[in-house]
Amino acid sequence: MIVTRSWLNEWIDLSDITTEDLAKTFNAIGLEVDRIHSYEIPKKIIVGKVLECEKHPDADKLNVCKVDIGTSIRQIVCGASNVREGLNVVVATIGAVMPNGTVIKPVKLRGVESEGMICSASEIGIEDCQSGIMELDKSVGKYKLGQEVCTLPTFADDLIEIELTANRGDCLSIRGVARDLSAAYDRPIKETNINEDEDKRVGIGRILSLSYENGLDVNLRYRAVDLKDLSLPFIVRLRLAQIEDSRETDIEALMLYVTHSSGVILRAYNYDFFCADNESMAKVELKKDDNGYASISSSKKASTVGIIQEDISKVTYAQGKVLLEASYIPPDIISKKMQESKIESGPMYYRTSRGSEPELNQGLNFCLNLIESNSKSSVFGGSIDLCDSYEDKIVTVTKKEIDEIIGAKINKVKITKILRNLGFGTTKSSSENFVISVPRFRHDISHKQDIVEEIVRLVGIDNIASKPFIFSESSKLEDDYFAYKKRSIYRHKAAHSGFFENVAFVFDEKKVLNGYGFNTTKEELELLNPIVNTFDTLRPTLMTGLLKAASQNIKNGISSVRLFEVGSVFNPTREESLKMAFLFSGDTQKENLANAGKPPKVDFNLFTQKISDVIGEFELRQYETSHSLSHVYQCAELLQNGEIIGELFRVHPSVEDSYGLEATYMCELDFVKLSYGLKVAKKSSKYQASFRDLSIIMPEAMSYEKVKAVIQASASEELIRFYPVDKYSDESLGENMSLSIRFVLQSFEKTLEEDNITSSMDAILESLNSELGIGLR
Amino acid sequence: METLLKEWYDKIKEAQSVDSLEDIRICVFGKKGVLATEFAKMKTAPNEEKSKIAKDLNTHKSSLMNEMTSRKITLQTQELKEAMKAEAIDVSMFSVSSEAGALHPVMETMDRIVEYFSAMNFAVKTGNMVEDDFNNFEALNLPKYHPARDMQDTFYFKDELLLRTHTSPVQIRTMMNNKPPIRMIAPGAVFRRDYDLTHTPMFHQVEGLLVDEEGKVSFANLKYILEDFLKYMFGEVEVRFRPSFFPFTEPSAEVDISCVFCKGKGCRVCSKTGWLEVLGCGIVDPNVFEAVKYKNVSGYAFGLGVERFAMLIHHIGDLRSLFEGDIKLLEQFQ
Repeated sequence: MIVTRSWLNEWIDLSDITTEDLAKTFNAIGLEVDRIHSYEIPKKIIVGKVLECEKHPDADKLNVCKVDIGTSIRQIVCGASNVREGLNVVVATIGAVMPNGTVIKPVKLRGVESEGMICSASEIGIEDCQSGIMELDKSVGKYKLGQEVCTLPTFADDLIEIELTANRGDCLSIRGVARDLSAAYDRPIKETNINEDEDKRVGIGRILSLSYENGLDVNLRYRAVDLKDLSLPFIVRLRLAQIEDSRETDIEALMLYVTHSSGVILRAYNYDFFCADNESMAKVELKKDDNGYASISSSKKASTVGIIQEDISKVTYAQGKVLLEASYIPPDIISKKMQESKIESGPMYYRTSRGSEPELNQGLNFCLNLIESNSKSSVFGGSIDLCDSYEDKIVTVTKKEIDEIIGAKINKVKITKILRNLGFGTTKSSSENFVISVPRFRHDISHKQDIVEEIVRLVGIDNIASKPFIFSESSKLEDDYFAYKKRSIYRHKAAHSGFFENVAFVFDEKKVLNGYGFNTTKEELELLNPIVNTFDTLRPTLMTGLLKAASQNIKNGISSVRLFEVGSVFNPTREESLKMAFLFSGDTQKENLANAGKPPKVDFNLFTQKISDVIGEFELRQYETSHSLSHVYQCAELLQNGEIIGELFRVHPSVEDSYGLEATYMCELDFVKLSYGLKVAKKSSKYQASFRDLSIIMPEAMSYEKVKAVIQASASEELIRFYPVDKYSDESLGENMSLSIRFVLQSFEKTLEEDNITSSMDAILESLNSELGIGLR
Repeated sequence: METLLKEWYDKIKEAQSVDSLEDIRICVFGKKGVLATEFAKMKTAPNEEKSKIAKDLNTHKSSLMNEMTSRKITLQTQELKEAMKAEAIDVSMFSVSSEAGALHPVMETMDRIVEYFSAMNFAVKTGNMVEDDFNNFEALNLPKYHPARDMQDTFYFKDELLLRTHTSPVQIRTMMNNKPPIRMIAPGAVFRRDYDLTHTPMFHQVEGLLVDEEGKVSFANLKYILEDFLKYMFGEVEVRFRPSFFPFTEPSAEVDISCVFCKGKGCRVCSKTGWLEVLGCGIVDPNVFEAVKYKNVSGYAFGLGVERFAMLIHHIGDLRSLFEGDIKLLEQFQ
């Protein structure tokens, strides 16, 4: 919503208030200021009058004018096509520095002296509102010839653009904004009083009749005018340019101006459109159209009330009868209707749907007044109305409730003043009880909280002292908090272990995901309106996002890519679950002296080590993934405390290739399965531990998992740990290899003796031999 | 004897290594050393001279011992110095930067926000991203035809479910499942169908809600906690409340802080206004309480965008860079 000081001044006296203060007030009362623009018209640009205007002897397009500039008469050559005798114009005199930097000097134009320049709007730094030079008229206000333009409030104005919240349709007009200011500054609104000289006028009833269907929830009021010689006032042109809006015809421009000023939705209709052949009486019919909207028509549809006007019913002529319509539809009704069956809308729909001014007469009168004073038109007397009877909503609220919601004591007189200035009716049923009638233009007010909001914004939030909320209750550290905390702990561990946290959109590309064998959201549950094709489904995995980020980082010259993410993924039935994923690609360290500038690359061992730094001890089991991101022979499911919690693998070489990556390792885990909670310390033995290495000859193809299982099953309780430490194969071993396993034995009762150890080891060897057929070298 | 010992005094002084000093020690103090030989001579000395000789010898013994010790310390110090010199390195070649990873600034900011409200005894509540119309809109006083729905362009699914446009549905679900009093925050990802320089289709919010008996929760309470919170997050900033409009609160306000870049003087970031908008808040609208069937309660609510906080706190200029896993950006947060 754009307002200007001079425009506001027509509705409320702001002459003693600076624009800075005005902007501060706007912000304070909830009308957020988006932009302030001050028009600065240079000095020595003055008002003049064209006394004579003749064609330039040597140039077709130039005119030589004699211009009265108050103190003298100057000869000025002017190229504008609209320059003519009798016009009041804006003249840049000798020495004036124009906004574009040009200095006005006496010049000869094709041999003719010119002492100044007659200006167009853009030349003096205001909106381009009129083609050619500006034609000043009485709408500009009082001025004298020779007076500097920068002293005229119409020109030296300040423009303020306000960002309105969706509920404040009532502030979509100058009058509405002025009303809010009237409450903020506690000063009255200037209402225009129009004297209707009804007796001399032909009544509208003689030329128009209205028929209507009931129950259409619209308010309409018609007036008629016989249009003649309408000239659009300069100020209307200027202000429409300031609000960056325009209309094709003068009558429509005028109505737009009135709507922006008063908030009333206005339309002009071609009178003859409603007259059947050979009929002198216009018949306007209000009925439901095919979509159920209230519409105006004769033989054809003229408009959808408050939404859009058909071109065929528009006024395209400058002389003749015109029908003026003011309309109001309750905004909730029109918005709901639009939601149910959407139709094309016109420029006024926005105002209608946000809540326009319901006081139709006020806008119509303002409009007719403007027409009469700027043309030779004659207005028909009276009006034809179709208005519902509306009773103001009543909201009651007590002083105590107001104080409780705000948390401060607000003066009763102040409350009454604020509400009255905003247009509310207030009565007090008792000294502590307000009965408030809500004017129709404030459709957004229905509860006592709404009333409190009005008081809060006009008292000013900055004037309310802050108070702590006092509570007595138990701690709020409960399940979701622990889940958040767990997430936070694992994220910190991952970061400390060298991984960078990635945050990716939960959107991903269906085609790519399906290509890798991931199941995406079922078709019937799929996103209806994805923002781009590459984000057309919900991700079932974090891994593709990490690969993309890794690829981008490699392109950015990062040689060691270590990423992790904790985030939501979705299964085909769109159930959400939390995963934690890791990616490690490229160098394991930065280049430095110690690694001679050639840091080792990540391998399976280092990656598992890193993952274990984050999640603690785990086991890996040979595994085949359901997707094709993984290397076929370097792929494992990951178990913790016997439960499968995720997968860990090297990325398939062809996938690495397609993302431009070197050897890359990934791991994705079910976050809920990661342990969280208080650890229980294991009892540890005070006695010395013993170590034994066994080198077992076993087929290379045999999985260590089997060996492990046999050892676990046959081990004595003294065996507390065992792990492979060396692997060796050569030709002499053929299909076999030698695997050295280190055993750690310890007892809670004593230091183990050689005999105990040997018998433990023998038992293991025996089982390995009998169950797997393998044994010592 | 004097001359003989004088020679050893000189030898000790001139010894060039701990090893040669040890050789001297053996020659002087050893079983067959000079001193032992001299003491042995006493047997043959006249009795009246014996005590003087013994006295002289003992004096020499202890002063030789002192010489020995002090020379040893000097030599050891010297040798250690030389050994260290041999280990000299050029330290300027080693300027090590961390090999650690880092948390994402948005997540880290979210952690800080959660930390504050946990300390104020707000429960942390989370919910699903896929939501229904009732919890995301209807219950929040945003009926189907409400104009404010335009402000939140929504991702819909074919079965009419949607991706939550804010974390408010978590508040609705919490209220439906719990009795007042409620005091909670809902951190998490939210979605709007908007993708340009200053909008991403996914971003993060933290919303807060406090509900208690009617008449107990006031706007002044809301002001108090948000002022305190913003000072915790941004340091000593000025805080300004501007009345505004949200369908789910009434009265509503937007909260600005004095610009953290120009200290309120006016710069490009704050569009010359000196203020930065960081929060929306208000007293919970009665229609919201009606939707969750709460009676005789009062409450306040607030909401903020975590990306915006992170960008202001860490001076990050480009919103979209936050979603690219860009290690060049992330490693600055090691």
